[in-house]
Amino acid sequence: MSIQNKLNRLTKHMVNPVSIPPVQSKQSLENSSGKRINHADYWEKFGASAYFFEDDYCIIRKVKYPLDTKWGSYRFSDVLDAVSQWQNIDAKHPLQAKDLDATDLLFFDTETTGLSGGAGNTIFMLGMSQIKGNHVLVHQFFLPGPGSEVALYHYFLNHVKELRNLVTYNGKSFDWPQVRTRHTLIRDYVPSLPEFGHFDLLHGARRLWKDTLPAVKLSVVEKEMLGVNRIHDTPGYLAPMLYFQYCNEGDPSLLEGVFQHNEWDVLSLITLYTHMSGIVTGNCYRTERETYETARWFEALNQKEQAISLYQEVLQTGDSLVSQSKKSLAALYKKCNGLEVSVRYWLELLDENDIDEEPAIELSKYYEHIKKDYEKALHFAGLAYSRWKGKKRLTKRKEEQEKQALTKRIERLEQRIIQYS
Amino acid sequence: MFQKKSIQQVMDVLREPELAKQIVHWKTIEPREAVSVPLPDSLHPTIQSALIQRGISSLYIHQLSAYEAALRGESFVAVTPTASGKTLCYNLPVLQEVANNPEARALYLFPTKALAQDQKSEMNELIEEMGLNIKSYTYDGDTPANIRQVVRKAGNIVMTNPDMLHAAVLPHHTKWVSLFENLKYVVVDELHTYRGVFGSHVANVIRRLKRICNFYGSNPIFICTSATIANPKELAEQLTGNPMTLINNNGAPAGRKHFLFYNPPVVNKPLNVRRSATLEARNLAKLFLENHIQTIVFARSRVRVEILLTYLQELVKKEFSTKSIQGYRGGYLPKQRRAIEKGLRNGEIMGVVSTNALELGVDIGQLHACILTGYPGSIASAWQQAGRAGRRQDESVVIMVASSSPLDQYVIQNPDYFFERSPESARMNPDNLIILVDHLKCASYELPFQEDEKFGDQEIQDVLEFLVDEQVLHKRGKHFYWMNDSFPAHNISLRSASQENVVIIDQSNVADVKVIGEMDRFSSMTLLHEEAIYLHQGTQYQVEKLDYEEKKAFVREVDVDYFTDANLAVSLNVLEVDKETTDEKNGKAYGDVMVVAKATIFKKIKFETHDNIGSGPIHLPEEELHTSATWLTFENKDLSEEKLEAGLLGIAHVLRHVAPLFVMCDANDLHVVPQVKAVHNQQPTIFIYDRYPGGIGLSEKVYGSWDVVLDQALSMIQRCPCESGCPSCTGTLEEGNNSKSLAVKLISQIKGATEHVDSK
Repeated sequence: MSIQNKLNRLTKHMVNPVSIPPVQSKQSLENSSGKRINHADYWEKFGASAYFFEDDYCIIRKVKYPLDTKWGSYRFSDVLDAVSQWQNIDAKHPLQAKDLDATDLLFFDTETTGLSGGAGNTIFMLGMSQIKGNHVLVHQFFLPGPGSEVALYHYFLNHVKELRNLVTYNGKSFDWPQVRTRHTLIRDYVPSLPEFGHFDLLHGARRLWKDTLPAVKLSVVEKEMLGVNRIHDTPGYLAPMLYFQYCNEGDPSLLEGVFQHNEWDVLSLITLYTHMSGIVTGNCYRTERETYETARWFEALNQKEQAISLYQEVLQTGDSLVSQSKKSLAALYKKCNGLEVSVRYWLELLDENDIDEEPAIELSKYYEHIKKDYEKALHFAGLAYSRWKGKKRLTKRKEEQEKQALTKRIERLEQRIIQYS
Repeated sequence: MFQKKSIQQVMDVLREPELAKQIVHWKTIEPREAVSVPLPDSLHPTIQSALIQRGISSLYIHQLSAYEAALRGESFVAVTPTASGKTLCYNLPVLQEVANNPEARALYLFPTKALAQDQKSEMNELIEEMGLNIKSYTYDGDTPANIRQVVRKAGNIVMTNPDMLHAAVLPHHTKWVSLFENLKYVVVDELHTYRGVFGSHVANVIRRLKRICNFYGSNPIFICTSATIANPKELAEQLTGNPMTLINNNGAPAGRKHFLFYNPPVVNKPLNVRRSATLEARNLAKLFLENHIQTIVFARSRVRVEILLTYLQELVKKEFSTKSIQGYRGGYLPKQRRAIEKGLRNGEIMGVVSTNALELGVDIGQLHACILTGYPGSIASAWQQAGRAGRRQDESVVIMVASSSPLDQYVIQNPDYFFERSPESARMNPDNLIILVDHLKCASYELPFQEDEKFGDQEIQDVLEFLVDEQVLHKRGKHFYWMNDSFPAHNISLRSASQENVVIIDQSNVADVKVIGEMDRFSSMTLLHEEAIYLHQGTQYQVEKLDYEEKKAFVREVDVDYFTDANLAVSLNVLEVDKETTDEKNGKAYGDVMVVAKATIFKKIKFETHDNIGSGPIHLPEEELHTSATWLTFENKDLSEEKLEAGLLGIAHVLRHVAPLFVMCDANDLHVVPQVKAVHNQQPTIFIYDRYPGGIGLSEKVYGSWDVVLDQALSMIQRCPCESGCPSCTGTLEEGNNSKSLAVKLISQIKGATEHVDSK
């Protein structure tokens, strides 16, 4: 059974793609002199058409999905809500889509002949998905052979003028620089690259799930977090080999799985963006770890208000990350003039466990510098030292540094006490 | 109080009989006046004033020639001895160009990272003085990622090394568009280092560079600087593929220089063993250092640097702090090196012991005295080391201390060879098929080839078709496209001759396991097999484990009274004879050979008596090498097989030292194999073959100069004072055979075989 037949049988278990018959397919597989391209029959059946430019052509494929199609645990239409939730949030954030419409987002992925980022790595497929009215449109641009890049990018750049809101997975350091490299090689023959903006979901996935998932590859995230189960997927690492084989043998059906894989990738990006936005904006269920990591994310972006409220959410609903959240809260309050609140957290932390010396150090500092209460400061410094001694450390050098810092503190405080008594 | 002697007075000490009898040759090189010209009017005013501020109000004549050649748009190579102001030869044209056109770019290639760093600081000082906005950066493995972006986009002058160009710049040329579009000059410093396998690789890297420049519409001028070698113009043309103008009218001044050959006294007459060169060098260095004469001592290995350093610091510790005697070699941190260089320039450091790391153009100022511990292996290299001593006004002295090796003994007993002969030619073979294919892969990765495109001047259709068959390239229409998911430059190293060397690891001290050396895989079969006694700097080690897969040999220090000798079954099959000169029976030929070698057994041989006291098998796989070779075929008239073997072995021993001398290569790049009965003609034959697959032109060069090589081999054997062969000539053999006379007989026989009859 061919992959296509297999897929046809299995589609009802997963999704409901509607291939749109290519417009004027007959003409579009013939060039101006009436010559049909190689394997025109196949492409026709596959729902693809050709785009001719000068003596060359590239292959274009479009697939439509109804907007209410369920992809993993979300429907495509949920991305509309996700974007609208951002309209109420002022905080700076890499996923921030304020003043954007869901239809502005362009979910983008490429298939390449290698993983290295040099001039010999060719992109043979550009794929993207987009909300268009009442459906999702997948739009794929395929390089029928090396050397046809002028036709490919000519079509791509003339049809996709707005690249300001790309959503990718690792596109910032891979896909987009690669597009730039390919463009540089043919820049004399094609329009220049438009300005582009970027939502790179890999970065967020790392932040949220680095500690929960064995790897943050899209395939893992999609399976574990989004409930997307691909059946008979062609793994991405096979794509270069399949393309080489296609180049040598000329049989486009070899690439059916790659088209499919790329299509699924750009669809999963919609679900992933929906889900991650939901976690960050608080409009979907989030685990304690996700809440905590989101708080840290906002903290790293210097969005203190958001961070504080998320850490407090952990305190109220959480369990294993409560102490860590308290520590972060104490530090945040210390920074925004809420030292008294910090002191309360530090004292609580001291009560809750007897191994961490940091709250004791902070309290010692507080009593020494703010309250000028050296006795109390010394008490906490001593406490810190005894806790510190009970711990094991990895590096000798760091151990020595910490020890010195602590003993110096204690000596200084003892002197102060003598001085002031 | 001890009165310090001047350099003249120290030289008087050297003339005293005790020392003088070891000085076998004393050559005085007369001083030379500077030939200066005023700064050219066309030079940009800010450059003029910057130079004047730095105390440069005129140019040496060769600097002007360089400047003018560049202005005429000619690529050129300037031959520049140490301290002749070579940097201005390229900095002037480059700065002139950038001063007039701020968009202009220049690429500087230095053989090492350290040299690039040096040049950057010098360049930046000059630029600062000019007050122009010229950006000059180094680009190497240490450049932080955020700086890299800046260098790519805006560096007027980018200083890097060939390895970086090969693996980091060219494959990513789309990120360097503004460099390649505006590239006006490519500077290749220390041209003479680009020879052999390394040079052959770099020549191909430059072919790739030029291809990319062509793609972006630039056609840079190449500026090369070289130490004195016989063929700078030819080498530069081979390396860059451009016609070159030769500039060798050195106008820099030099003071009087004394060049002394010192042969240590013989301590063991029968074996003709001399006192250690290291110890003699130490004593000579002491003589200079205790009189506060700045001295540089060159040693042949890193370990010997350390030994000499320890000796010297100990000897003169009453005189100075240990800080004023320093070592300098690869393996020191860059910061440490910079401090030593500075100390030498400002006189805080009195003595330095160095490997050939200081042969390259690192600026350490000029010293008074230079001691070479052993002959450095080539005339060019010896002159370069000697160039470290030599003030522009003052007198200076260079002493070469010979070791017992045949090569050293030959050179020291033939001063004419050294002083009269031009330095060696530097050879490379960019068209070596293996190297070429490697770089064609890289080049295809960078830009697709067109059907009738050449690579340099090389036709490459066949290779491209081959790569298509290998499914590395894909041909579509008239183009060959890269069709592979690998990154070819990562698998190709420019530096390694035989791609994989065996690392020798000393595990005598469990707490301090260290790498003490490396050896090519081929030699390791006979020298590093398990149970072999491996000698390293005079210390015996036993090999405990040879991990042939992982290329590691684990050794432990031992003290035994025997050495090991392994049998290597080498079969040499002549595949094709390209050139030949013969009479009826004796002959010389050159062609392609297939070398198959397999280590079979080893023997333990007792010192002194040479008794065989044990043996064992060696279990290592066969090695194959397809390369080019030249060979001598002898007619066997009346010698017994045993005598014949002794004679051939003797000649081979000498040739191992003489042949590399004539083709200017490392002794490891050429192998000499004597065979009593060669497979292809059943006659006694001596083969010399290139150690790199495919050959790099060395044995071809030997073939072209057999007459000279044999003359020298003969005179080396005859001049040796020993009676029947010693380590300094034909090597030591088992008792009973006079390898010396046998070797002489055979050489005379084959020399008679040529049409050039020796007049002697």
